[in-house]
Amino acid sequence: MAARVEQLPYGIGRFSIRLYLLLAALLVIVGWGIFAYSRQFVEGLVVTGLRDIGTMGGATWGLYISFDVYFVGVSFAGITMAALIRLFHLEHLRPVSRMAEALTVVALILAAFSVLPDLGQPLRGIVNLFRYARPQSPFFGTFTLVISGYLFASLVYLYLDGRRDAALLAQQPGPLRGFYRLWAAGYRDTPAERARHERVSFWLAIAIVPLLVTAHSTLGFVFGIQAGRPGWFSTLQAPGFVVMAGVSGIGLLLVIAAVMRAVLAEREQLHEGIFRWLGTLLLLLILTYLYFMVVELLTTTYAGHHHEVRISLSLLTGEFAWLFWGAVAALVLAVIVLLLPFLPPGLRARVPATSPRWALVFGVAALVPASLVALQGLNLLTLFSTGAQRLLAWLAVALALLCFLLLLPYLSRNVVAAGATAGILVNVAAIGKRLLIVVPSQTHGTLLPYAEGSYTPTWVEVSIVVGLFALGALLYILFFKVFPVMEVHAAEEGAQ
Amino acid sequence: MRATLAILMVIVGFALQAVSYFFLAAPWGIPSSPVYSNPRVPFAPTLFILGVMLVFLAAVVYELLPDRQAQ
Repeated sequence: MAARVEQLPYGIGRFSIRLYLLLAALLVIVGWGIFAYSRQFVEGLVVTGLRDIGTMGGATWGLYISFDVYFVGVSFAGITMAALIRLFHLEHLRPVSRMAEALTVVALILAAFSVLPDLGQPLRGIVNLFRYARPQSPFFGTFTLVISGYLFASLVYLYLDGRRDAALLAQQPGPLRGFYRLWAAGYRDTPAERARHERVSFWLAIAIVPLLVTAHSTLGFVFGIQAGRPGWFSTLQAPGFVVMAGVSGIGLLLVIAAVMRAVLAEREQLHEGIFRWLGTLLLLLILTYLYFMVVELLTTTYAGHHHEVRISLSLLTGEFAWLFWGAVAALVLAVIVLLLPFLPPGLRARVPATSPRWALVFGVAALVPASLVALQGLNLLTLFSTGAQRLLAWLAVALALLCFLLLLPYLSRNVVAAGATAGILVNVAAIGKRLLIVVPSQTHGTLLPYAEGSYTPTWVEVSIVVGLFALGALLYILFFKVFPVMEVHAAEEGAQ
Repeated sequence: MRATLAILMVIVGFALQAVSYFFLAAPWGIPSSPVYSNPRVPFAPTLFILGVMLVFLAAVVYELLPDRQAQ
């Protein structure tokens, strides 16, 4: 062995009271999600807001499928980063490699779990998929390439990449020693073994890059090749899915890296260069996506069929305008934040130094009216008239903008906070865009002369989705409490 | 030995994908009934998935198989 670990690094196996409280809170939320799902399982999809398209004026795909698409998108980051680091020798990004790989695995598990509640009879759906899936259907590709191939490839990559660290950690006596020895599977870190791992990682990276592009395109084809569904039928769906997957995935990776940097106090390993590099990549992806969006809207509103125009108008000025413009605003604000590091140093020095405290106060204040509006929108509250609801919504927007403006000077000096803020903004936008892809074409996109429909998720759907997020956080935290979040061997060798 | 086995697994994996997709599942000819949209052999999609997994499993076999010298 080239290096020897004296104690388990990165907080492995150490549980504080605060962490126990966090895990307990996450477990409660997961339990609530399971309870909500049990209600749906017993009573059927009638407890959700999902209804037949046209005849019942609803949408058969709602929150579940929107978040399935979102989670698959998030999964893009991990394996892409791992493959890019390997193929282009981006050694300075290695510290985020493992957290990105784990993000892929967790996100794909959540994606699989998001589809299940959409099926009235989940067990029948699972069996029939393996038995009768049609190879011409994009669903076939989605489930074979995304759920099986992509998840399996990510697990293989994560496993093989972690063997060297597992072998190092297995030298340390402790309750997890057996687990590390099992993971290491006889790895002894000889030059031959290292060379072999390099070869395997390289070929895996080569195999994974086309797989992930195919996988995300296939998911885009689920929508993009439906000729009878205005708003979905578009050549840009597949590339749009790939780019938005990159935006949400890289964004979430930035947030996770910033949290890990703060929690583990690893400023040297998770240095600012990582955030600058990922931020620039994110900036390019957002600009590409915005370009796709403008092209798509120009095409459909300029010369589209009247059904296409109806969908576009429902986004631009109609029922979904708040969500559409909210998502666009979040993307534009993220662009502004990501451009801050490119300000000339002289100009940046002239920006007054302010504390982010007031910005946080306004941010929290914005959440109060936003939550009230959301609860009333979900029919969980009936406190306000439509006019008062609109007023509250605008108040939330004003407070959020004020928060953003007050935060800008701080973000211009802190590239880590800027990356994390942009990451949060693009993920809010990604969720909004996923909902906009899935829902409006079902409620407003029927070719038959049905009246416009509507879709409002119920508490059951919201609880299940929130429970899925909590499950993801729980899996992620627990994994990094038994396995190092960054490569140990690299840090140990650096120290020597 | 190690390389041969890994390459063999990759070839068998891709072959399994091709056979299950084109010969056991994909519809050939003119559709005549709704059943036509089902794969001709039930569980052909499962075989395809196993083919995908076999290809990636080759990487694990290649890395984990012990050296003859080490033995």
